[in-house]
This record gives sequence, C-alpha cells and structure tokens, in this order.
Amino acid sequence: MSGEIKQKTAFFISRILAVPAAYGVYRLLSIVLLVLSCLTQPATAEVRTVMVGIYENAPKVFTSESGRPSGIFVDVLEEIAKKESWELRYVPGTWAEGLDRLAKGEIDLMPDVAYTAEREKLYSFHKVPVLSVWSQVYAPRGSGIQSILDLNGKRIAALERTIQLETFRRLTNSFGLKITLIPVPDYKTEFEMVAAGKADAGLTNRLYGLMYARKSGLEDTPIMFDPAPFFFAAPRNASRQLLDVIDRRLSELKQDHQSAYYASINRWTSEEVQFKVPAWLGILGLVLGVTLLLSLAGSFILKHQVNARTRELKLITQEREQRIAERTLTLQKMNAKLQQEIEERARIEKALVASEAKYRDIVEGANSVIMRWTPEGRITFFNTFAQNFFGYPGEEILGRNIAGTIVPVQDSVGHDLSSLARDIAARPEAYAINENENIRKNKDRVWVTWTNRPIRDDQGRVVEILSIGVDSTKRVQAEKELRCVLEDLAAAKERAEQADRLKSAFLATMSHELRTPLNSIIGFTGILRQGLAGPLNDEQRKQLEMVQQSSEHLLDLINDVLDISKIEAGQLQVGAAPFDLKASILKIVRTVQPLARKKGLELAVSIAEPVGVIISDQRRAEQILLNLLSNAIKYTEKGQVRVDCSVRDGFVRTEVGDTGIGIREEDMLKLFRPFHQVETGLTRRYEGTGLGLSICKRLVELLGGKISAESEPGRGSTFCFTLPLKKGAS
Amino acid sequence: MKKKILYIEDNEQNLYLVTYILQKSGYEVVGARDGQEGIAAASRMRPALILLDIQLPVMDGYTVARKLREAGQVAGVPIVALTSYAMAGDREKALEAGCTGYIEKPINPETFLAQMEQHLNERPSPGGTAT
Repeated sequence: MSGEIKQKTAFFISRILAVPAAYGVYRLLSIVLLVLSCLTQPATAEVRTVMVGIYENAPKVFTSESGRPSGIFVDVLEEIAKKESWELRYVPGTWAEGLDRLAKGEIDLMPDVAYTAEREKLYSFHKVPVLSVWSQVYAPRGSGIQSILDLNGKRIAALERTIQLETFRRLTNSFGLKITLIPVPDYKTEFEMVAAGKADAGLTNRLYGLMYARKSGLEDTPIMFDPAPFFFAAPRNASRQLLDVIDRRLSELKQDHQSAYYASINRWTSEEVQFKVPAWLGILGLVLGVTLLLSLAGSFILKHQVNARTRELKLITQEREQRIAERTLTLQKMNAKLQQEIEERARIEKALVASEAKYRDIVEGANSVIMRWTPEGRITFFNTFAQNFFGYPGEEILGRNIAGTIVPVQDSVGHDLSSLARDIAARPEAYAINENENIRKNKDRVWVTWTNRPIRDDQGRVVEILSIGVDSTKRVQAEKELRCVLEDLAAAKERAEQADRLKSAFLATMSHELRTPLNSIIGFTGILRQGLAGPLNDEQRKQLEMVQQSSEHLLDLINDVLDISKIEAGQLQVGAAPFDLKASILKIVRTVQPLARKKGLELAVSIAEPVGVIISDQRRAEQILLNLLSNAIKYTEKGQVRVDCSVRDGFVRTEVGDTGIGIREEDMLKLFRPFHQVETGLTRRYEGTGLGLSICKRLVELLGGKISAESEPGRGSTFCFTLPLKKGAS
Repeated sequence: MKKKILYIEDNEQNLYLVTYILQKSGYEVVGARDGQEGIAAASRMRPALILLDIQLPVMDGYTVARKLREAGQVAGVPIVALTSYAMAGDREKALEAGCTGYIEKPINPETFLAQMEQHLNERPSPGGTAT
C-alpha cells in the first residue's frame, strides 16, 4: 500500500466514524465480523511476552468498566498476538507515564502514538498507521465557537506532551491568537474541566469526542485540525522484529474488510451496545445478515463512501476557504498598515529633502566662507562663497589640503602657519575663534576671522572641523592704518610737547633778557630822580618820570605774558601759607591810593570783622586784588571805587565795584579770555595787555575760588572773587 | 670801616647801577664778572654779603652758590640771589643752592637798599665778619 492510499483510507475511516447515519448498519456489521474473526483463529506458535502500556483514551485505548484493556489498538494488537502467539501483559498508567516507560524500555509497545520526526529520535515506529484521526475542538453546548478566531483569549485544555497540543499551539500562533493552553494528564480530566467551566474548550481526537462529548455535555465545534497517523511505538533500541510483524499483520487486516481491524473500529466508534442478543437471533441474524450483506453491502458501502468523501471534501474546502478568507483579511490589514507606513516614510523623506535643500540654500547662499575639513587638513566641503572668495572651483579644491591652498606656509609678518591645521584639530577649543592670514589662488593675501567647531564621533574623536570664516581684510588694514595714524599722533603730540617746552624756555629766557636792560633803565631813572647823581631842573624831572612810567608799563607787560604762559604750560604753582588778608587788602589799597587820588576818585574800603588770617598764596591773592583795583581805577573817570570784604560759608568774598564805563552785555562772556581787551571804540583808550582778567580768573581757580562780574554799561561794574579760608592740597 | 659787598654780575650796566647805589650809601663794593672770579674774590676779601646774579656765563649762579658753601670760607655770609628769573621753582632752587635771600630784578632804587640791608641784618651766622 502506498502512503497516499494509506492516508486516504485513514481519512475515509475517520469520516465514516463521523457520520452517525451509518451507525446501525455498522453495528450489525461489526458483530458479524467479530463472529467471523473468532472462527478463523490460527494455530499457536512459540509464546512471546509483550509488555504493552495502556492509558485512558477511549475508544482507541482504555480500560473497560470490568477492568479489561479495551479499544481499537488493544483489539488490533490482540488479533496480531493471537496470530503470532504473543502473550500480552498490560501496564496501566497515564499517557505521560506510558511514554516514560517506553523511553526506559520498561514496556515493549505503547499504543496510539502519533508519528513525528522528533519522536522518532526517542522511539521506533512501524510503517502502516493503525489509525488516522482528526483533532477537533470541543466546547460546552451553545458556546458559540464557530471558527478558530473565536478561540482568541480562551483557555484551552489539552493532553500534555502530545503532537495535538503542539500543532494547535502553532496553529493559533499563526493566526496571532492569544490562548492559554492548560495541559492535562488525560482526556477524561480535560472534558470534566471544560464541562465545569475551568477551561473554555478542550482538544481531543474525534474518536474520543464522538464517544464522550455528548455524555459530558459538550459538543464538537467546526474547528478540526491536523489529521495525524497513529502507531504503536517501541523503545528506540529495541529490535524491529516486533514492529515489522505489526506492519505485516496490519496490512493483512486492512486489506480484508471483514477483518478484526474493521470490526474493532466499528465496534468502538459506535455507541455502546447496551442490549444482549439471544443466540438464536444471532444465528438467524447471521444468515439474514450474510444474505443481506451479499446483496446490499457492495452498493451501500460504495454509495456511502462517495457521500462521505463528498462531505469530507466539502468540509475541507469550507475550512480552506474560511482559512483563506481569514488569512486574506489579516494580509489586507497588514497591507494597509504597510501602505500607511510607506506613505509616512515618503512624507518624512520629502520633508527631509526639503529641509536639506533649505539648509543647503542657507549654506551656499551665506555671505561667509563655510567649509569642513578633516583633522589632517583635507577639505571635504567648500561652499559657493568660499569658492568665489578664494578663487578655487569646488572640483579643484575638494580633497586637497588647506595648507598650500588657502593657508600660506608663512603669513606676511613671517609667522609659520604650516602646523595651523594640526594645531586646530588638536585643540579646537583654543581656536574656537581665530583670525589668521589666508591666501587666494591668485596669491592675494586676505585676513579671515574663523569660527572653528569640531565634529566628533560617538567616541568623542574629532572627525571633521567646521570652519566659518568672515573676510576681515579691510578691518585688519584699517587697524594697521589706525595704528600708523596713532603713532603719527603720538609723535605729533611729542613734538607739540617739545615745542611747548621750548616755548616756555624761550619765554623764560626772553623774560630775563628783557628785564635785564629794564633793570638798568628803571634803576638809573630812579637814581637820577632821587637826585643822587646831582640836582635836576623841573623839565628833566618831568621827562625822567615819563621814562619811568613807560619802563614800568613795559615791565607789567612782560610779567603778564610770563604769567599767562606759565599758567597755560601748567607750570604756575600756588602756595598755601597763613597770612593776614585784611593787612594785604589795606596794603594794596595804599598802593593804588595815589592813582585814585590823581583821578579824583573816592576809594572806599569796607572789611567785615571776621576777615583775618587765611591759608592761601599771599602774593597771588594780592596780585588778583591789585589787578581788579587797577582796572576799576583805570576805567572810572568819576565817582568812586569801593572794596567790600566779608566771610561766608568758609569762603572770604571780596567785591571791587566802580562807577565807571561798565561793560556791554555781549562783552561780558569774553571778559575772562586771554588777550581780550574790551574795546570801547575805534581806538584803544586804555593801555593794557588784555591779560589781567584772564590771569585773575586762572589764579582764583588755582586757589580754589570763583570770580564773576556784573555790569551796567555807563553805570559801572562790580567784580567779585572768593577764596577758601583754608586752601586745599591742590 | 666800610662794610664790604661782593657783587657777582656779568652785565656792566647793572653792576654799575648797584655799585653806585651801595657806594652812595657808604658800602665798599667789589665786582666780579663771572663765577670763577667771584669765588676767588670771596675767599680773598671776606665780604659782609654776597649779591649773586643767577644767569652768568660759564658757571650759573646756582653752581656758584653751591661752590661757595662747599668751600666753607664764606660760612655765615649771606648770599642774596639777584635775578630776573621768575619761573616756578626759581626761588626754591636758589635757596637750595645755598642762598639766604632773593631779590627780583628789576631792582627799585628806592627800595633796594632797604631789601639788601634786611638780609645783611638777618645774617644768621654767629661767626660773622662784620666789624
């Protein structure tokens, strides 16, 4: 028998068993076959003891209520044992115990073992299957389980260590179902659990299901799977003789439709016969049956075979279609999801491209040099601006070293730049902002301010440097020019200071040179006027007086020029020593008294009580007062000149007022400027250098005071100056 | 006996003017035209007072005053600087160099004698040569 035929036969048998309509006929047939088999017992050969594992898996193998091993496998084995003169000894236990015993060699045969390649490593199998049976899911009546998808989230009980369980696990996994598998030691327990609600469904072969489902209050679901061939298994290392005998005998049994094999199947897959048949009725039945069978069996069996096969195929087709539909649906869902992912990815890619283009635009359009280079100095990126700026097209510069292209070996002032790339790569932080000289392709030198940033890999190693450069040539040149200008300015200042020193020295010398002859003029004039050299007549005396006045005026001029030049050169130093200001005022008044009297002016002096000793420069204080009083007398033709002195807030305040010509408003501002004599007409009416008031102002300020003037043209002027009672350190 | 005044001055007119004023007032005046001559005259004649012009040829008045003081022969003799220098520090420089007084040029013939006699009388040295 070929494997295919075997398989078909197995299907056929299993399907037959699934069709309750045929029960009656087969029940009868089985009885006939049983009787027939009893009649044809062969002669006994030598006796051999065969140990057989037995467990509860009705109707394939089980222990009957009377304690006898029963079932299809037992029937088949006993038929073979009878022919081969084996003595069978049954070793009861659970399925798992039976397998263990077989593995240890404690038993010779284990019935009802499905073949797998994995099991063949542990056990030996014969070749002709005893049975091929579908596995099926059983559930409580009305469970609503209609397809395998309904099992999602359910607890499924299954016999431990079975191919059935493993196949089911793979099957449900392939559908992506979440199922809790509860391994059980035997099918009886399994059905009890399902019935009690401890499991939602149970797996078993159709043979067991047919026999016990209804009794347990369960029903078969449409979920069938894994039609598997079942064999006797022997220990792996046992002789094959036993298995070969089984194969031979089984082939014989299967070829003969009247054999004990078919009888057994019919017997155990039918509902149990509960009634006893009288012997005579048996014999009558036999006769009738044989007659009936001979006439009907052929056509009936054939017809039934066709029907069963048709149903079988229909069911298989339905299952296939259902499975395909489910698979299609799953695939469609996955496809839709995949499509969505592809679209999402495309969108991201598009966004990335857009973003890349945007940044490329920025980098290429930037008004700066943007470049990247390796720590060895090799240029890997050079933007458009850089290409234009340095005069290298991209294809010419990329891959070349910055040294010798854009970095000169030496800059203009001779600094060595050959190690610049290495230095930046070694210590990028130190060169984060760096200005250095660069060189264009046409050898022009340019200055660039660079921002250098290292690009590091995961280990922190510098793989590239990003350098952004701004042309600073103009600024560097401007700085250079500025430095030159500053140097020129410093030189000019030095020259000016030199000239100033020379001017001061010149003035000092001039002053001396002018005074020396004046010394003689004034001196001899004085001697002559005194009459020391002999008596003078009136005319001589008058003329000598004129010489003396002119000489003294010349001396005043020289003194004023000397003072103002000393002040402007910052060389005039004032002292700070105690002196009696009241005495000084009176002394100066006495000095100018003759001048006032000569012009017929009244000279009024008012000195308040607290005015006395102050700390200041006596000579300069007297010079200020003398100057103001001389001016007042000089510019007053009639009326009076007055001096008022008082103390207020730590300052002594001296006012010199007159009833003279006064000062016009527009002249008041120019009053204290040097070389500025207020003019009263086209001709100068009054002698003077125009330096007196500006000297007074500087002196007052040097002494820590202030000077001011008020005037009403035609009515007179009042000058007022203050001096601190105690001059500060300055 | 007439008091002896040494006047070191290179300007002929000034030398004559001062000499004339002092001789009229009863002093004996010895004139010297430069520092070297003045130092030599000072050690020879032992004057009651020395009038010293500051701007002199070859050796300026400050140096002459310093040398006179260093020589020690005119210890206690007043040296009065007689100069038209009026820049800052002139007075101090003269005093530092060893002068005891300072009369600014141009001199006033009416007050000059009084100014000079004040320095003559204020002469601090106990070992003075006035007799």
